[in-house]
Amino acid sequence: MARVKRAVHSKKRRRQTLERAKGYYGNKSRSVRAANEQVMHSGNYAFRDRRARKGEFRKLWIQRINAGCRLHGTTYSKFISGLKAAGIEVDRKILADLAVNDDAAFAALVKTATEASAAAGADAA
Amino acid sequence: MKTYSPKKADIVRDWYVVDAEGLTLGRMATEIARILRGKHKPTFAPHMDMGDHVIVINASKIVLTSDKAERKLIHTHSGYPGGLTTRTYADSMARRPADTVRKSITGMLPKNRLGRQMATKLKVYAGPTHPHQAQNPKTLESPGARREVKV
Repeated sequence: MARVKRAVHSKKRRRQTLERAKGYYGNKSRSVRAANEQVMHSGNYAFRDRRARKGEFRKLWIQRINAGCRLHGTTYSKFISGLKAAGIEVDRKILADLAVNDDAAFAALVKTATEASAAAGADAA
Repeated sequence: MKTYSPKKADIVRDWYVVDAEGLTLGRMATEIARILRGKHKPTFAPHMDMGDHVIVINASKIVLTSDKAERKLIHTHSGYPGGLTTRTYADSMARRPADTVRKSITGMLPKNRLGRQMATKLKVYAGPTHPHQAQNPKTLESPGARREVKV
């Protein structure tokens, strides 16, 4: 049976670890042990934060929509409630973009939402 | 579509002037902190200083409601043993009205490098004058005044 020398694969694995750890701070890019631990953690953080990013963007859109709403004399929560009452299904990403780039369209949506919530309030009363 | 991300060149900063006479300290401070941070603009970005400049005049004529001027305490510590100094708000306002008001506003900003940078846009003066006429500041009408209660 052919002989297998173990150093070849060990060295290969360690080389891969160090390559993944390029640019890390201090020992983390030089010593295999420190680099290995950091590479494992980095992977976990990257996995977690790719998911967290969705929430972070939604948070930012809401902050921008709220700023836009307050310029037009309403608040985020009233605006969203009004959109729901009006049956408008524009998502927060687009709403935030309108607030930044197209004030006229955003103002029109605020107007529709305000009227819809007023109508809904009148129905309930 | 990509979410808008402001560039440094996109930032337009206004100047606002607030007459603090008769305003409630905390209610005024929250709205000023909001403006300094830029949360009143639809272009807000958490990693950048998007805020406007705010000038506060008549800081010495700010109002603390209830008996808070006498009851609410300010603690500072020099770092040495026994170095704790405790003052009432009334005492602090009498000594350094502008610093007291500035502290309550900057305390509402983020506690990091960006927050400290935002705080430099705040100018507080105890008296009724300010040296920023050249910036043509707009008047900010009584921020934090009690809103009318809806029935």
